[in-house]
Amino acid sequence: MKNPLIRRIPKELRSDWHKYLVIIVFMVIMIGVISGMYVGHDSMLAAVYAGREELVLEDGSFELSRKASQDLLDDIASGKKADVRSYYIDKGNKEADKKVAAAIEEELNEQVTEKIEEAVRAQCAAYGITDEEMIQAQIDAAVESSFDQAIKEARESEEFKKAVDEAYEEAHEEVVKKVDEEWDEVADRYNLNDEINPVSVKIYEHFYREESEDNNGDGAEDATVRIYKSDSEIDKASFNEGRAPEADNEIAIDRMHADNVGVALGDSIVVGGKQFEVVGLLSYVNYLTLHESNTDLMFDAFGFDVAMVTPEAFNKLRSRVHYSYAYKYDDAPQSKVEQQDHSENFLKALITQSLVYDNEIEDYLPEYLRQASNFAVSDIEGDSAGASILCYILIGVIAFIFAITISNTIEKEASVIGTLRASGYSRSELVVHYMSMPVIVTIIGAVIGNVLGYTAFRDLACFLYYNSYSLPACHAVWSNTALIKTTIIPLLLMFFINLFVIVRKLQLSPLRFLRHDLIKTRRTKAMRLPRWSFLKRFRLRIFFQNIPNYLVLIFGVIFIELMMCFAFGLPDSLNHYAKAAPDMMFAEYQYMLMDSKDDDGNVIETSEKSAERFSMTNLMYPKKSSSFREGMGSGQDESVTVYGITESSNYVTLGKDTSIDALYISSAFSKKFGISAGDMITLHEEYENKTYEFNVLGVINYDGGIAAFLDADSFNTVFEKDKDDFSGYFSRNEITDIDDQYIATVITSEDIVKVTNQLMHSMGGFMGVFKYALIVLSASLIYLLAKIIIERNEHSISMAKILGFKNGEIGSLYIVPTAIVVVLFSVVSLVIGYYLMIWIFHVFMLQLDGYFAFYMKQSSMLLAVVYLLVGYAAVSLIDFARIKRIPLDVALKNIE
Amino acid sequence: MNNEFLEIKDLKKSFGTGEARQDVLRGMNFTVKKGEFCVLLGPSGSGKSTLLNIIGGIDTPDEGFVSINGDKLEEMNEKELTMYRRKHLGYVFQMYNLIPNLNVKENIEVGAYLSDNPLDVEEVLTTLGLQNHKYKYPNQLSGGQQQRVSIGRAVVKNPDILMCDEPTGALDYKTSKEILALIEDCNSKFGSTVIMVTHNEAIRNMADHVIKLRDGVVRHNDINTNKISAMDLEW
Repeated sequence: MKNPLIRRIPKELRSDWHKYLVIIVFMVIMIGVISGMYVGHDSMLAAVYAGREELVLEDGSFELSRKASQDLLDDIASGKKADVRSYYIDKGNKEADKKVAAAIEEELNEQVTEKIEEAVRAQCAAYGITDEEMIQAQIDAAVESSFDQAIKEARESEEFKKAVDEAYEEAHEEVVKKVDEEWDEVADRYNLNDEINPVSVKIYEHFYREESEDNNGDGAEDATVRIYKSDSEIDKASFNEGRAPEADNEIAIDRMHADNVGVALGDSIVVGGKQFEVVGLLSYVNYLTLHESNTDLMFDAFGFDVAMVTPEAFNKLRSRVHYSYAYKYDDAPQSKVEQQDHSENFLKALITQSLVYDNEIEDYLPEYLRQASNFAVSDIEGDSAGASILCYILIGVIAFIFAITISNTIEKEASVIGTLRASGYSRSELVVHYMSMPVIVTIIGAVIGNVLGYTAFRDLACFLYYNSYSLPACHAVWSNTALIKTTIIPLLLMFFINLFVIVRKLQLSPLRFLRHDLIKTRRTKAMRLPRWSFLKRFRLRIFFQNIPNYLVLIFGVIFIELMMCFAFGLPDSLNHYAKAAPDMMFAEYQYMLMDSKDDDGNVIETSEKSAERFSMTNLMYPKKSSSFREGMGSGQDESVTVYGITESSNYVTLGKDTSIDALYISSAFSKKFGISAGDMITLHEEYENKTYEFNVLGVINYDGGIAAFLDADSFNTVFEKDKDDFSGYFSRNEITDIDDQYIATVITSEDIVKVTNQLMHSMGGFMGVFKYALIVLSASLIYLLAKIIIERNEHSISMAKILGFKNGEIGSLYIVPTAIVVVLFSVVSLVIGYYLMIWIFHVFMLQLDGYFAFYMKQSSMLLAVVYLLVGYAAVSLIDFARIKRIPLDVALKNIE
Repeated sequence: MNNEFLEIKDLKKSFGTGEARQDVLRGMNFTVKKGEFCVLLGPSGSGKSTLLNIIGGIDTPDEGFVSINGDKLEEMNEKELTMYRRKHLGYVFQMYNLIPNLNVKENIEVGAYLSDNPLDVEEVLTTLGLQNHKYKYPNQLSGGQQQRVSIGRAVVKNPDILMCDEPTGALDYKTSKEILALIEDCNSKFGSTVIMVTHNEAIRNMADHVIKLRDGVVRHNDINTNKISAMDLEW
């Protein structure tokens, strides 16, 4: 026989359907949104990772000035370093040989001619011929007839052979000497003397052209478009809409760019002066973000586009062909360090081989450094960290509400429980019975939430990603993270919180239940109240009697304010950061150079007076030790920008002298990881097994990034740079006298704002959804909390009605104390919520790269309180209606 | 089977400490035979409900013991006590303590669920005259009807002992008699031993065995040879 108590559950659900509906909606929204985020996140990453395989993402690419010969490609593909020294010597020898051969020929001709002349003159003298004209005629005739024979004889003479050998030897020695002189410098620059492990690769032709794009037919250039052929075998594209071009007048362009500039499938655009029909919106596996150049701080999906045309259409375009080649390693690297080794070894092969084939490298970029294919991925990987914390807190609150409700029910049903226990029901049977409701409701919430998570909310999450990046189409994948975080953990939370409360509550003996003797500590004396009016004292008694319920209410209000702080504070913080960012720059302009020297080896100088040299490198700070979670979302270690600052700098003031093991850190670094002066920090290289230990001398007020500061000399010593090496210039004014080709990046305040704007754009949609979800959740929460208070007092309210109190009076007795508590604690809770949020934000920041502090506008604080009070006012009206509905016989009936 | 089914031996129980200490049971001794209808009579504070609770295994004595069928309750742990109540006892209280959101039939099933050999629920409903009310909820019933359900929930287990704590305390004269008749029926029909606590002197006339308590001790322990039917009781 099934336990008949089970039948209570559907009845209970039906009878209190509005309460359970609110709780279920509450959970569905929370679980749905978070499950959707995780599923969207995992689906998107799965699509990206699958795309890397299916669409053959390169391991790197290089561009040559001329089309490479097959031999060159074969040699590069072998991964072997060319013998550049021999190449130079061979080349020198060949040139020397030509010169020597020409010189010998000339000398030989001269000497043979001389000898013939000598012999003819001797003969003429013997015959007494003195006429010079005759002699000359004889000489000419003799040269004509015996020159070749004489040359032949001369060549065969030992003397000649020896002389020639000597000449060649001398010339070759000269060549070697000259090559040796120049070799050292070249080899030093590219470390060509180091032995390398050949990294063999497969090379793919990946030519492109860059054309102007006019996407609205007004004749003006709207964007630069980088065009690839549709038959490429590497770095292929997936199609979000449409198909690959098949005819010469068809083109497929980047989906994100098309969205941004308002181009749709079927539209016509002008590319390189030719009309094309857009037949596909694509996502290239190597252009998930539209970074035109790898040194661009931020991608530009408006002014830059990538596209695909047929090979025939490609050939008809007029702009120059970029001879770009992509490659894949035959043995894929297994770690970051190996990636770095592979790419360094390959680069040496590439440099030397292209040199010996007389081709020039225009560009080289290993894929792991490629922003366009990694920026979005690392951003997605780092996402969705904070939401789960919020989910757990929320589920915890719901579990608490359940526990309170159940504990009220247990009190109400005390005599039934006593009877059941006396009749032989075991405590565990009753625990299971009372546990079933929260567990069932959680399961219902989790199931519906997950269904929505895998459908509507996943689409929403994917839409938010699509809003930011040129991502491939994704299909929902099963997400273990989502299951664990949105279903298993909430269920466990709900289970254990309720189990704890219910087991404690049911600990009492059957007899005590029968006697309604459920309070463990008994109040000995009633508190004396001042001589106030009866109603006031009555109200105060109600207040005292309900203190445990008010405590729960206060807890709930704190949580609501915490959510409000989150909803209002996050966009506020982003805006605040965006506004403050320009002031956070060291200098109006920060020029990063490709190298401190130009092609001729001269130090790159500027006449700009405000310019000041600085050095810069990136190291990593181990984050795991300070982040409470690892794995997805925790990101890798934190990237720290280490600056080398010149003495008496105008831009960064270092106090005490730094040394090779003592430095300053930025205030953002200090705040994020709680590091202060006197602490030791260990930084390490990202791609090498090299660590550096530093003592922190002090904190420099700079919130713009996670940074550390050394003086320039210490910097160069620590990082084994030349004494005068530097990375770029800080400047107050624009620098105009440095050739663009030497400038890697210029960072101005506009770039910083661009980053935060992009952040706002990416997170903006998400924040909007979250804000409204949180407001709905807050209203539901206060509804549930207020309901508990009225429910607990149902009996007393009914009794008050019997005694003749009017509904208004009863309302003032039961609603006013709650209202006072809510109003008082709305402000206190805001303060608590605000500080809690600062802490949570800090923890949240540890999951991400970079740092900015939590900030909330005063108007937002006011709104956070107003929203709560407006929500409560609405709930009070419902409460009043609830009071009116309580029947008089509740207090009179003997039934339970 | 041992004829002396229930044995109460030197049972003592007090509440409170120091000056507030109150000895409720002060050495109580008696036995009840299987199938007997035993009434525990006494004024308020005589210790009858405490005695009933100790017999029911929901309270424990300070001294002495209760033995049922030779098993001493004091030797049972909590789990065994629960099993004892589950398998052997049926409880009827003055307040009916029905589950508000289960209907009449379901409330009776709550008892049937606990038993290895429950009576037929429909039969019990008919016996109790609740067939027409079986789909009603407790709040749709009168007090007498609710007490019938409560008796139904207890007897459907087919218990060895039916414990009744002032079952008519909240009922009017006529309904009280009907309820008593039902308990009498259960006793004769199903052979349950009935231990009924009451302060209604008239009820002694329908019992096989009357134990009168005062100040925590047994004052009279009588076997009633002239018992009359519940419906013939007058008070």
